[in-house]
Amino acid sequence: MTSQRLQMRDISKRYGGVHAIRHADLEIGPGTVMALVGENGAGKSTLIKILAGAEHADTGSIAIDGEEVRIASTADAIALGIQTVYQEPHLFQDLSVAENFFVGREITRGPVIDWRAQAPRMFDLLDLVGLDRRVAALPVRYLSIAQQQQVSIAKALLEDARILILDEPSAILTQSEIDVLFNVVRRLAGEGVSIIYISHRLDELFQIADEVTVMRDGQTVSSDPIGTLSVREIAERMVGGALTEGVRTTTTSGDAMLELEGLTLDGAFADVTFDVHRGEIVGLYGLVGAGAADVGDVVYGMRRPTSGVIRVAGDGRPLRSPMRAKSRGVRMLPANRSSQGIFSFQSIAFNITIGSLRLLSRLPGWVSQRSERETANRLITRLAVKTPSMRQPVSAMSGGNAQKVVLARQLVERPGLLVLAEPTQGVDVGAKEEIHQIISDLADAGTAVLVITTDLTEVLRISDRIIVFRSGKVAAQLAPTATQAEVLAVAAGHRDDEEGAA
Amino acid sequence: MTSRTDSAPATVSLRRILPPAVTGQEVVLVGVIAVLWVLLGIFTPSFLSPASVGPLLVNVAPVALIGIGMTFVIITGGIDVSVAGMAMVCAVVTARLLVSVEIPLIVALLVSVVIGGILGSVNGFLVAYARVHPIIITFGTWNLFLYIGYRTFNSSTVNGIPSTFDVFGKGAAGTTLGVPNAFAIVVALVAAAWWFLRYTRAGRNLFAIGGNAEAARLTGIAVRPRLVWVYVITGVMVGVAACVMLASGTSSLDQSVGNGKELEVIAAVVIGGTSIMGGRGSVVGTLLGALLVQTVSVGVIQLGWPSQLSRLFVGVFIIIAVGADILRERARRRSGRMS
Amino acid sequence: MSTSLPEQRPSGAWPRIRAWIDGGGLLDRRAVIVVLLAVLIVVMVVLDVAGVTTAPLTTDYFAASLINIVPLALLAIAELFVITTGDGSIDLSVGSMVSLVGMVFGILYGTQKWDFAAAAVVALLVGALLGWINGFLTAYFRYPALITTLATYYAYASIALVITNASPISGPRIQELYGAAQSVELPLIGAYVPLVPLGVFTFLLPVAVIAWLVLNRTTYGRQLYAIGTNSTAASWAGINTRRSQLLAFVISGVISALVAIYTVAQFASARPDAGTSGPGMALPAITIAVLGGVAITGGVGRIGGVLLAALLIVWMNASILIVVPGNAGSQLQFLALAVVLLGASLVDVTNSRSRRARARQSTSAGGAGGVAEMADSAASRAE
Repeated sequence: MTSQRLQMRDISKRYGGVHAIRHADLEIGPGTVMALVGENGAGKSTLIKILAGAEHADTGSIAIDGEEVRIASTADAIALGIQTVYQEPHLFQDLSVAENFFVGREITRGPVIDWRAQAPRMFDLLDLVGLDRRVAALPVRYLSIAQQQQVSIAKALLEDARILILDEPSAILTQSEIDVLFNVVRRLAGEGVSIIYISHRLDELFQIADEVTVMRDGQTVSSDPIGTLSVREIAERMVGGALTEGVRTTTTSGDAMLELEGLTLDGAFADVTFDVHRGEIVGLYGLVGAGAADVGDVVYGMRRPTSGVIRVAGDGRPLRSPMRAKSRGVRMLPANRSSQGIFSFQSIAFNITIGSLRLLSRLPGWVSQRSERETANRLITRLAVKTPSMRQPVSAMSGGNAQKVVLARQLVERPGLLVLAEPTQGVDVGAKEEIHQIISDLADAGTAVLVITTDLTEVLRISDRIIVFRSGKVAAQLAPTATQAEVLAVAAGHRDDEEGAA
Repeated sequence: MTSRTDSAPATVSLRRILPPAVTGQEVVLVGVIAVLWVLLGIFTPSFLSPASVGPLLVNVAPVALIGIGMTFVIITGGIDVSVAGMAMVCAVVTARLLVSVEIPLIVALLVSVVIGGILGSVNGFLVAYARVHPIIITFGTWNLFLYIGYRTFNSSTVNGIPSTFDVFGKGAAGTTLGVPNAFAIVVALVAAAWWFLRYTRAGRNLFAIGGNAEAARLTGIAVRPRLVWVYVITGVMVGVAACVMLASGTSSLDQSVGNGKELEVIAAVVIGGTSIMGGRGSVVGTLLGALLVQTVSVGVIQLGWPSQLSRLFVGVFIIIAVGADILRERARRRSGRMS
Repeated sequence: MSTSLPEQRPSGAWPRIRAWIDGGGLLDRRAVIVVLLAVLIVVMVVLDVAGVTTAPLTTDYFAASLINIVPLALLAIAELFVITTGDGSIDLSVGSMVSLVGMVFGILYGTQKWDFAAAAVVALLVGALLGWINGFLTAYFRYPALITTLATYYAYASIALVITNASPISGPRIQELYGAAQSVELPLIGAYVPLVPLGVFTFLLPVAVIAWLVLNRTTYGRQLYAIGTNSTAASWAGINTRRSQLLAFVISGVISALVAIYTVAQFASARPDAGTSGPGMALPAITIAVLGGVAITGGVGRIGGVLLAALLIVWMNASILIVVPGNAGSQLQFLALAVVLLGASLVDVTNSRSRRARARQSTSAGGAGGVAEMADSAASRAE
């Protein structure tokens, strides 16, 4: 019996007082594609980081080809033949594909790079991943994201890889690009490479994986050949039997504040139709890349749709910019706090009032200090932002508090429609509760709320209705009484899977 | 284990691996310069004579020389505004030395180059090891170098500079087989720099540093020493340029030497297609940029237009050249997809 | 998702600076300058008592030296507006704008004998137009500001020289303006206070006050700081980033026009190379702005700091001249400027590093994903 290529046994890791993983096991044979699935926070990332040498395990052992090994650094991992390819290709955009292959490890004759020695290997790898050899001379900038990812994979194989970790590779790819990726994966497996394939897209796993390991709450729940399970069963193992307690007690709703009809954005989503009424919270759930996030951008005027209608409070004129959207009563909390939300070295007061400057005084163009103070105070109190002073720069705040500040910005004037993208990402549990309560109270007071999130627990907790996105389309509408497994199955499941239908 | 396929080609054609040897911007510039020369040749017949072209090429030399260093620096994502100060120091120290002691050309050249290198290393160490932006560092060192330069001048001009450097000058001594020596040296150094940037590991690593210094560091490139080197190289080039400036001048040197050079050099670099953001650049483009600017200046005078108009054309050319570069990059990004 | 590699960034130096600014690294700059000013005064008094100075150390002398502060501080304020919009924004063309508007003013007021007010208004409009061209190319055509203003530096300087064929405009009307820039006795308290150049009150203080009000009390000022801090977030907050950046360049043009008028008065002639002779006016102005706490990456910068920095440099130069008179003194000024600029920048870096270290110790462990940690780790990755 050939020994397993990789055996990780009883791995545990704590961060501070919290266990990220507990007694996790992972075993893969040579030439096997092992899918590793689990919700955010289930421990997949930590397990992979330990394998890649970026983190150290507190307990447990790792054996490769039967021999126990110590992985103390990323260099150790690479030396053992463990390569990782991340979701975002980390390539030098202005250097050619060939140069990206060898940067930092060029073979040289004296000062000169010895392409004759280096290039054959690179061409072989380009062939292997299915890229035309002509891309070698192109600056990476000119390649599509999918091609850049292929380059990343090829690059990872440069030093003979025995174990290849692919972290959510299909999230940014179109269907045809995914097919290409799968061919590459199959070919590599055929050559004996063990592949760990991390993905949320459960339906895909059936096309590419041989086995699937499910993680939940830091533990490996199961590990089985993929043929023995269904999408629904995998989903259930990922989320457990947990029932989510909803925050929403009363749901009264008024007129439609937002109506989308046949909304299409090429490359993101197509033919989206739903509405959001005053007083209700609609949760939009979809995996990364499913197109849900883009809907928010379009509603807020950040991007222009290809076709379709958006009506805000009955007004169907196009929303050309965030300024226009705001003038119609739409506010949006952006998904990425640090790059899109906060003004890091400005004060809390600045951050709160920057979205509503014209309100701060009666004279046009003027900012009244007192008005600013009052507004900031009012919102700091209302949202329970923890801070000694409103003059403190936001950069010093924790994630939860900073998120409250950005949320406060949207609430200076009561919005007619509030769109929230990933409202509690990177936020501690306490602040998460508080933010959910704030959102719920807002809805009760009459605002129409659209929450776009990839957090499964959150969407079940906070929504009156759940709209599930998959592959750029509305896949189903579910009630908040659905189980996590049901929602996940729809979002991640195969189109023809009968269990995915609402 | 990943196995090899059996189709490794017998010879590796570098054309299929490295970017094209000539950039689009370089081609365009050659075209524009050619057109300008032809037009000037038609409208002012004296333009195409050796007596006119020779001095033009010699005037290109200092800007192109410093431009080599500046191109390296800008490729790494930095900038050096202190070159005018460095030029002054190299020029005045060398000139004083020549006046007081009889030294051969080689020694004088060496002195200038070494001084330039030392000044450049001040820039280099500060930029590489202090976490302050290069534009601020080199503003500071520029003032420092001006101090040193003015002190060395000591409020007078340096007179009686011997003709040691004439071999770099505009006169008969400065020409070999009809080609000005200074320009020949420029072409040689540009060729060497081009080769360095294209074929050596150190050269290619500069582009990586300019693209993403942190990622470059993680791949194992020694970023800081390389940064020191590019500023030292700039200083060395300034040293050579100072000798050419001494040669092109009269036997007296005054404090205005080097004035405005930093902007002229930066103009040549950006016209040549080097991106001010770093990560992308061409020394041949810089040479062509310097040539274009000089052609414009000379052309304006030869056509009898007010000489001050030349700067207007330079400004316009900067806008057009950089605009063309930006548009070309955007177009290639959209259509460069390969199936 | 785990990513152990840093994100792709456009160039190496800017994000490093951002990271340490995120730790509040520049907030202490005004204090540093005040300290330096105090040190300067103390040193000068000591030297005076020790008899080392070659001229009497009088308040009149220092007050009179303020004549140089007007153009320097005004242009530094102009640079503050432009640089604060961030993303590499800078204005190299202020010197040329001064030259060109100066010539226009000289022609209208001196040669064409227009009314002062009319000539001044047109001059300001021309300045606004020149600034508008800078802003349009940078904000709407997306040229890097360094390149746009380099090109206009050349273009405007050239036009200034061409329109009068490189000859300055003087004449009786312009010479009458000379008094406008000179020192005057202040009304009421004048007898007790040294003679101060009139330009400080007629040009510098009004502009400084208005600029301060704009930056701190108007919506435009807020938008400016927002864009410079994070232009993406500014777009998300509903700010028209392009228009605001364009306006900053227009403001720079208008201020340059004011400096042009002042310079004509100060030298009693409109010189076509007023702003472009020697090292030009842009680089000293940018140096003062940076010294005064303006972050080259944008989002940070206060009028107070800029004025203090200008004051420091002007008085430092004046002090040097009475300790080391003549050319040796003016040479020393360059050295002093280099030392002050480099010293202040390096002090900031060590200052913010230690502040971040202290902050790291006091932050509790539960802030995963917190902003402080992101800035922190970005900065420490860059070390």
